[in-house]
Amino acid sequence: MADGAQGEQAWSRGELLSLYDPATGVLDRRVLSDEALYQLELERIFARGWNFMCHDSQIPEPGDYFISYIGEDQVIVVRDEAGDVNVLLNTCRHRGNALCRAEQGRAKSFVCSYHGWNYALDGRLIGVPGLKAFYRNDIDRARLGLARARAESYLGFWYATLAPDAPSLHDYLGDVGRTGLGMICAYGDVEVVDGIQKNIISCNWKIAVDNLFDWYHVPYSHASANTSGFIDIASIQHPNEQMVMLGEYGHAIGGPGIPRDKQDQIDAMSDPERDEASRTAPPNSARIRPRAAKALMGAVGVRSVGHPNIFPNLWITMSGLQICLRLPRGPSKTELWWFTFVPKAAPPALRRGMIAQANHIFGPAGILEQDDGENWSQSTRSARGVSSRGLGQYLGMGLGHDQAVAGEDGEHYIESPVSEHGQRWLYRAWTEWMAASDWADLKANHTPPPTGTV
Amino acid sequence: MLPENVLLQYEVEQFLYAEAALLDARKYREWLGLLADDIHYWMPIRRTVTLGDIDREFTKLGDMAYFDDDRGILEVRVRKLEAGSAWSEDPPSRSRHFVSNVRILEVAGDEITVEACFHLFRSRLESDIDNWIGRRVDVLRRTEAGFRLAKRHLFLDQTVIQSTNMSTIF
Repeated sequence: MADGAQGEQAWSRGELLSLYDPATGVLDRRVLSDEALYQLELERIFARGWNFMCHDSQIPEPGDYFISYIGEDQVIVVRDEAGDVNVLLNTCRHRGNALCRAEQGRAKSFVCSYHGWNYALDGRLIGVPGLKAFYRNDIDRARLGLARARAESYLGFWYATLAPDAPSLHDYLGDVGRTGLGMICAYGDVEVVDGIQKNIISCNWKIAVDNLFDWYHVPYSHASANTSGFIDIASIQHPNEQMVMLGEYGHAIGGPGIPRDKQDQIDAMSDPERDEASRTAPPNSARIRPRAAKALMGAVGVRSVGHPNIFPNLWITMSGLQICLRLPRGPSKTELWWFTFVPKAAPPALRRGMIAQANHIFGPAGILEQDDGENWSQSTRSARGVSSRGLGQYLGMGLGHDQAVAGEDGEHYIESPVSEHGQRWLYRAWTEWMAASDWADLKANHTPPPTGTV
Repeated sequence: MLPENVLLQYEVEQFLYAEAALLDARKYREWLGLLADDIHYWMPIRRTVTLGDIDREFTKLGDMAYFDDDRGILEVRVRKLEAGSAWSEDPPSRSRHFVSNVRILEVAGDEITVEACFHLFRSRLESDIDNWIGRRVDVLRRTEAGFRLAKRHLFLDQTVIQSTNMSTIF
């Protein structure tokens, strides 16, 4: 049976699965450019998966709302009078107009600017102008509330899905997703710093995602950040001490890992000893996490100072300071949103330092980030040429040379030099999400995190 | 007195035009020479908010921003542009800085607060075009060597930045 009927070309299950070849690590470049594949992604990945909405601290009071997206569906994330968080499609049930035009704010209810339909903070339709005079009371208001997404949170991070059959957020995140969000909270409860940086890049969203696992590009793409004296890349890359964690449904973490013997030494230290060691460490060293981090990140996860991606599109930076959401805007367009977190208990000087680092390193003017977008847009562009799109993306680094092992709590991880294990895991999962017709199909037909040679 | 105001307006405008010409000519090191040591170069994040919330349209000092730079960071940006490996600007972009609606808001001692509108045009590679338009507030400090730029606060007329990056100096 053909799928993806909205586009010009329909894709069969077999064709979808063949777009990435796990045996060779070769990815079909059409995944970066094909319109029908993109439409299918909106249905089978974004509408089906759990999507990051915002953090608890952005909507602390009843009526506080923040506009976010599930794929290209715009949603209102709003706290109601009972304190519950609702994720509502930002589209009036009458004629489809957007109820919220502002990207954040506080509301008592949502009134449509077209004909004045009024919705409560939980989405119930509570007011229809002309109810008696024009509708003659003949309208079923109970059926015309705003469409809702399922909303759940973990550690204050709100997520939503449009799939009624999706597993719970906790189960969806799995150990790797929970490690990723735990990384942000490793130094204590966090809040969002005011201001989400947003910009648009002419690239496919997946090439931005796979780049976060890519520690191979760092010394080359970001060479000028090094020579300008902004950052000492050698001190953060640790090319021979890398750890990749593979989670169910495509989550992964890739990047530097603290070797087990070093972690054993850290485990023996008290929190004051860790603080002291962090203060006297060379510049660019990751701040040693407190003892409590192990409960949040797991025994293996706490050794990671890499980049988690919570499938499909949420990157957590290695410091846990920022997350970057990659929102799809067509096969060749991606909107990046940067959220910045600081521990609520951070003293003012530490808070200032963290915000300065966030402002200088990432975002469209970020001294590191500036050079990524053009790599991604030029790679996306070459996926449109008839001949160049026929060439595969080669993601074969380290394939067949490393061992995946299972940790004491069941975490699956690989310790190796710089590799492309994370990218391969992403694209293998992507084909399985795309081929599955629903959650039951995906649950039955996805590759579990492996052990043995990878 | 009017003639003095006219002269000051002329001096300020000529400084701003000369500064813009240095940037468009990619003479970044000479541009650094026009900055005061304590310069604050800042572009807050702008948001779409309702009229009732308009005081939250821009992020505040100390919160997130697109630029929140001191002289040290601006020197990094210039060294990066000169590095030969700043791929987002090598091959170099073509930029044109327009400055208009120049108004002197305050003269306090040796410092002159100037508001202006800016239009920064960038053309990049074959067909990438960026237009950044907005208002800015500069502080020019009079020194024996001429004006030095002590503050540049940029208020962009965009919310979601419609650009791959902002690797250009505003």
